[in-house]
Order: sequence, then C-alpha cells, then structure tokens
Amino acid sequence: MRARVVVTGMGIVSPIGIGVSEFWKAALAGRSGISAITSFDPFPMDGYRSKVAGQVRDFAVERFIDSAHGQRVDRYAQFALVATKEALADSGLQMAKENPHRVGVIVGAGMGGMVMGEREITQLYQQQKPHRVHPNFIPVITLNSASGIIAMAFGAKGPNLTISTACSSSAHALGQALHCIREGRADVVIVVGADASITPLVFAGFCSLRALSSKFNDHPEKASRPFDRSRDGFIMGEGAGTLILESATHAKKRKAKVYAEIAGYAATSEAYHMVIPREDGVEVAHTMRLALADAEVTLAQVDYINAHATSTTIGDAVEAKAIRQLFKSRADKIAISATKSLIGHTLGAAGAIGGIASVLALHTEQIHPTANYDDPDPACALAGLSHSAQDRRVKVALLNAFGFGSNNAAVVFKQAGRKT
Amino acid sequence: MATDPTISLKIRTALGEYLKRDPAVILVTQHLREDLGLDSMAVIELLYRIEEAFDLQIPDQDLVGLTTVGHVVTYVEKRLGKPATPARTKKPIQPSKAKGKKKA
Repeated sequence: MRARVVVTGMGIVSPIGIGVSEFWKAALAGRSGISAITSFDPFPMDGYRSKVAGQVRDFAVERFIDSAHGQRVDRYAQFALVATKEALADSGLQMAKENPHRVGVIVGAGMGGMVMGEREITQLYQQQKPHRVHPNFIPVITLNSASGIIAMAFGAKGPNLTISTACSSSAHALGQALHCIREGRADVVIVVGADASITPLVFAGFCSLRALSSKFNDHPEKASRPFDRSRDGFIMGEGAGTLILESATHAKKRKAKVYAEIAGYAATSEAYHMVIPREDGVEVAHTMRLALADAEVTLAQVDYINAHATSTTIGDAVEAKAIRQLFKSRADKIAISATKSLIGHTLGAAGAIGGIASVLALHTEQIHPTANYDDPDPACALAGLSHSAQDRRVKVALLNAFGFGSNNAAVVFKQAGRKT
Repeated sequence: MATDPTISLKIRTALGEYLKRDPAVILVTQHLREDLGLDSMAVIELLYRIEEAFDLQIPDQDLVGLTTVGHVVTYVEKRLGKPATPARTKKPIQPSKAKGKKKA
C-alpha cells in the first residue's frame, strides 16, 4: 500500500494578510487585496495600460526573520522564508528532533529574483560599468535561491528542488512533493510557492502581452473578476504560500495536527500554445480526471474546486467548460471559488496559495467568496460559484493550476482521516 | 598602524553597516574572516561597497592580500595615492585572538 501524505502546517504572505488566520478571515469576508500601483518609484505609471496589482504592503523581512538569511535574497524568497517560518511553527515540527536528510524542500517559482534582476540590468545598460554589477546578482536571480535559503535557514538537508512552470509552478511543487514522500525519499517536504515580480519590466511585459485587466484602473478592487461577464484580464499579485507535507505515519508518530490529506496529482501538457489554452477544454478535463484517479476519488465525491480562474476572457471560459465536460450535471453541485479574485494572480505562488485555500475549505467547511462575480458570464456559469462565502460540507477538494508553456496541473485534497 | 583617519573611518563605517555593528568597535587589526566572521562571499560584498565608496576597481589579483581591516585601509590609501602610512599591505597577519571560533 502506498504511503498516505498529509498537510500538517501552513503559512502565507499575501496581499490580504500575512499569516494564515489573517488571510482566511479576509478571504471569507471577500476583502480585496488589489490596489493601485502608485509608481515604480521614480517611474511614472502613465505608460502602463494596467495600473493595479495585488501588492503585499509594508513588508519588511527583518520583522519576521532574525537571521541574515532574509537580507541575502530577493523579495520573493523573503516571502518564502516568512511563509515557511509560519508553516513550520504551525506544524510543530522540530528540526532538532528530525533526521535533516529526510526533510526536503520543493519550491515553485515562476519569475524569481526580478527586483534585483531588473535593477542590476538597468544599471549595467545605463552606466556601462560591468564591475558595478552586485556580487549577489547571480545567487539572487538564480531560480533556486528560495529553495536554497529555506534549506539553510531551517536546516533541511533532503531533496532540494525548484519547479518553474510559470503560473502552475507550486501546484506541481505540491504534486512532486507528494511523489517524493510516496516514494519514500523523504518523510517531510516543505512545499513553497513564491513570486514577487510586480516590477517595471515584468509588469510592462504582461501589459504588452495584453494579459492584464485595464478597464478597472480607477476601481482596483473590482478589477479581478473571474467568471464575471465584464472580466478583461488578470491582475498581477505577489506573495508566498507554504504547506508542510509529511507521510501520515510520520505525522502520527509525532502526534501532529493534520489539516488534510493530499491524495492525488496529475501533470499534463496541452502541447498547444505558449500562452493560450485549448478552447475545447479537453486537456484540462483530462488533467482533472487523472488527478482524481490518482487520489482514488470518483467524480461524485468532489465537493469543492479551487479554480485556476485568473479572470481572463478565454482562460475562465475554458476552465468552466472543462469542469462541465468532466462532471456533467454534477458540475452545478460543486462549490467553486477563485482565490485570484481576492489577491490577483500570484504566479508561482498561486498553486500553493490555492492549495492553502483548498485545505482550509476542507478544514473549516467554508468556501471563500469569488469577489466581483456579480454578473455571471453565460459562457462560464456554474451554480457553485458565489460572490458570498458559502458553508459547505467539503470532503474532497480539487485544485486546478495552468501555466504558460501549455502545462496543466491538478491536485486533490481529502478531509483528514477520510477513507475514500 | 598609521592610517588616514578619513579612509579608515569610511571603511570601518562600511563594515559596520554590513555587520550591523558600531564602527567604533571595529579595529584595523581585526581579521576579516577570523575576527569579524566574514565568509568569502561577504568579503566580496564588502569590497564591492568599498569600490563604490572610493570609486575604485579592485582587480582580482589584489584580493589575496586583503585579509585584515588594516590591509584594506592601507590598500585603499595606496590606490588613492595617499603616502601617509608606512604600513605595508603584505604585513604578516597577526595571530587571531579568536582562535577556535567557528566560521560564521
């Protein structure tokens, strides 16, 4: 029998709160974390089509991390450190009592250390002084800087990996961690999703891609509106989420509190287009089906879907179509919500944060609202969506995450102790 | 070691900022690695700050002799053409008082 894997701790840095309890309280209240970008100091916003984002305000790493580790890395990795510190404390895991080689770290990150990256590149081109490039430039922008610094800060010597599949990065990190523990390569894996790239160049790039909303610049809190008829693109967000995954046996041995079981995972590629999903939704439906089969869960058992739902015209319609295709008439009985309606699209962090929202749905049996779902788009109307919080019995939750490069992920969580 | 007080202070201030310590407690006799706990990456970061502070470029081959605060001060003075000090950059390193101290 394969090992069961459970979630025993969580931590988060998000535009609606640092810390899981603050995040969940704000999420259930439907509070928006989207606000205007005042400037890319000293850079005016005039030339940008979109001017709003889900920003983590007033973040200072030294308020959370005493050691020098926080100072050596970029903003996204600082978020990762803070979320992980909370998650480890929440899990009660004491590294001093663990075999450090049995504790791994898998981070999902899409963009990495872009704050320093952009600054150094700009300075080099403007000043043409190669010797003034900061000595930490390479270690900071290398995509595994977060997984590395987490291992160093907390003493985890097991598998240390970074997965970069754009917007689905940390959903794949969850899935790969599940495999890692199932295969007996680790007892515990610290799974993190992190990104912080609301930076002049990256933001301009997404604007140029015409991927961002631009209709709601004067009403930032209304800009992220997945599945709503007037949605017009996603809102960039930033943040980090950490989930402590461990084998059920290991968790039981140390009498850990268990939030939920992570029971299934699927990874596929649409092999179709760099940024556009297949409009028939077939591959998305296939990915969900594979993850449910891996979790040994039937379609009829799914109670909640944390949708990828970025608020783009095509993306949301494809996902809704795929859900209907797979679940047929049962699709309307499943509670659905879009975490990105509250915090924007946190890119590499989105899978982990969606995972936290899924686990909290199982744990608290409450579904957070999908903000601004005011005028359901007939192309993606699903009865389980609501702009209000819902009290629901949730035994099985499904997390969707799709990424540029034509890749899909789905992860299944079950209520802890459930035998299905 | 006789040194230009301005240069010495600037370097100790840079070190103080980096180490989050009062520059007054940083002595020219202190060894960057053994006394101040700077690892090789930290030494490189420090020299990066010093290059900026004095508008200098320090070539790789000069890094070898820069092991104490005093060496750095003397080196910078020499590069800036300040003749004041008799101290030599290749002065043997004093045995550290912090023997047995673990690396940071």
